[in-house]
Amino acid sequence: MAGIEIAQVVKAYGSVPVIHGIDLSVRDGEFVVLVGPSGCGKSTLLRMIAGLESVTGGTIRIGERVVNDLPPRDRDIAMVFQDYALYPHRTVAENVGFGLRMRGTDAVTIEKKVKEAAEILQITHLLDRKPGQLSGGQRQRVAMGRAIVRDPKVFLFDEPLSNLDAQLRAEMRVEIKKLHQRFGTTIIYVTHDQVEAMTLADRIAILKAGHVEQFATPDEVYRRPRSTFVARFIGSPAMNIVPATIAPDAAAITLAGGASVATPAAFARAAGRNVLLGLRAEHLRLAGPDGVPARTVIVEPLGSDTLALMQVGAVEMTGRFPPSAPLRAGGEVMLGLDLDQAHLFDPETGLAIV
Amino acid sequence: MSDAIRHRLTPLERAERRLGFAMLAPAFLLLAAVVLYPIAELIRNSFHFNHLAQPWMGTPFVGFENYVKALGDDRFHEAVLHTVLYILVTVPGAVVIGLGLALLANQPFRVKWPVRLGLLLPWALPLVFAGLIFRWFFEYNQGIANAMLRGLGLEPLNWLTSPGLAFFAICLAIIWKSSSFVALVLLAGLQTIPKSFYEAAEVDGATKWQQFREITLPMLRPAIFVALIFRTITAIQTFDIPYAMTNGGPGNSTETLAMYIHKTTVDFLDLGYGSALAVLMFLVSAVITSVYLRHTRRDPGRH
Repeated sequence: MAGIEIAQVVKAYGSVPVIHGIDLSVRDGEFVVLVGPSGCGKSTLLRMIAGLESVTGGTIRIGERVVNDLPPRDRDIAMVFQDYALYPHRTVAENVGFGLRMRGTDAVTIEKKVKEAAEILQITHLLDRKPGQLSGGQRQRVAMGRAIVRDPKVFLFDEPLSNLDAQLRAEMRVEIKKLHQRFGTTIIYVTHDQVEAMTLADRIAILKAGHVEQFATPDEVYRRPRSTFVARFIGSPAMNIVPATIAPDAAAITLAGGASVATPAAFARAAGRNVLLGLRAEHLRLAGPDGVPARTVIVEPLGSDTLALMQVGAVEMTGRFPPSAPLRAGGEVMLGLDLDQAHLFDPETGLAIV
Repeated sequence: MSDAIRHRLTPLERAERRLGFAMLAPAFLLLAAVVLYPIAELIRNSFHFNHLAQPWMGTPFVGFENYVKALGDDRFHEAVLHTVLYILVTVPGAVVIGLGLALLANQPFRVKWPVRLGLLLPWALPLVFAGLIFRWFFEYNQGIANAMLRGLGLEPLNWLTSPGLAFFAICLAIIWKSSSFVALVLLAGLQTIPKSFYEAAEVDGATKWQQFREITLPMLRPAIFVALIFRTITAIQTFDIPYAMTNGGPGNSTETLAMYIHKTTVDFLDLGYGSALAVLMFLVSAVITSVYLRHTRRDPGRH
């Protein structure tokens, strides 16, 4: 096992830079998720760690070794690909044992290790089949078997669940987490799905246009997003971010459209400024007459709770309410805003005002 | 099509079916005129005496006489042997060279078109031109082959006038000409192999050679079969290149079955016998093709 040190790593295709000096320090045994929209460079970064892309600048260290110029096979890593990369002309057992066989492991050991891996992943009954005869979830398990059988220092996952339906994805998420608990091997995992990031990661690196926007625990990125980009990307429904103005004495904040609310003391840090007010759906509630008047636009019952899009003055905000809340589309309500939980962002830079 | 189903057709369905047949008819008639009719005529001819140099004999029905004649015809036997030798040498030769070219062309070149053009050019060239080009290469006094031998301080060789060398030279020309087609077929096959297969193998520790053996070759099997079938069918019909290079000489030593059929009909004007030989060639070609087809069908490794 080993940690990974990424220092000032740059990637450019010709003169087009796609990764602009990324620093990431992954601890031994840590589960780190790289997340971001398409084109943010997360897959490129993973492939650089794997050795499938060259490093234009900076250094990548796995354990104590700088691996910049090492071929993938010498990095002691295993990778699970988005399309699983299973060989259609080989059986499941041969696919799982492929890496061992390529490294000249003897047949008896291969068989033993393949069996062990198959038992862990519950694919023993599939070992003699060809990948073409398997379902998506089963292929995913085989691809993971192929990775764990080699007992590498680091696992790399490149959007491994994106070809599965929602239910299987949830199931495999649990499976991957179990695997990590069992082996304790360092994992770097790329996804564009913030739910996967939140549920799996010890720490999440949110990437945007070749930069790391924030690198912190799921709790931290959820509670203290460093920018509006992170705030919008993490959490579902997305955080409400609305323009607002804080009074010079910081006693009240005025939302676009005129609604004015008394502020907690902490808002003094942005006294007299135009800001972006960030408020998660769960920090909206139905209030008494002292609340802010709002009109319900759309109601989305989810069973466990109900989401409702509210028109508050000139802005729209989504709130999360108990299923019993008396909401109907077009109805007038009074909203309470938990400004203690609110985030303030600079409208120019998008960065959090702390 | 069972009667039960035909009875259940509604008038609309029947009208649609009639329209379908009507639309197919022109193509079918054309094919019948240029393929079915000549084949039928060929088979009919093969059972008749038909010699244009002996018009007074008429064209009487002779049964299997032409076929019996072929069984005892040494020149026919030799032509068959030569054809088989050409197949045995040039089919594997073209597939091996073609595979090499396809692998080369599949490399990530910055500018792709010169590579593709280089691949296409031999294929686009008419066979007879290829034959003429190689005839010049192997010409005794001016040819590049002998020029190279002289440059190495060796004696020039009678490439096209000694049987073994002529066979070698012709095989070389055929392989050069046909490997580009094989390469195109295999290149298409190579491009269907996902890149991640190689990347996963790379991560798993496979060397380039192992990747070739474990991924490229097995994944390419269907394409290789297609190339083998096409190449074999055209090899059975080998004509143009030996015709242009040696015209079957010296003696009959490089004459193929197709060339002998051509000589029998066009030079000797013996249409009856020539037709019988052509039917025999057709049968051989059908048998070889069906062997291949059965093999590909039996192969469970194909998807």
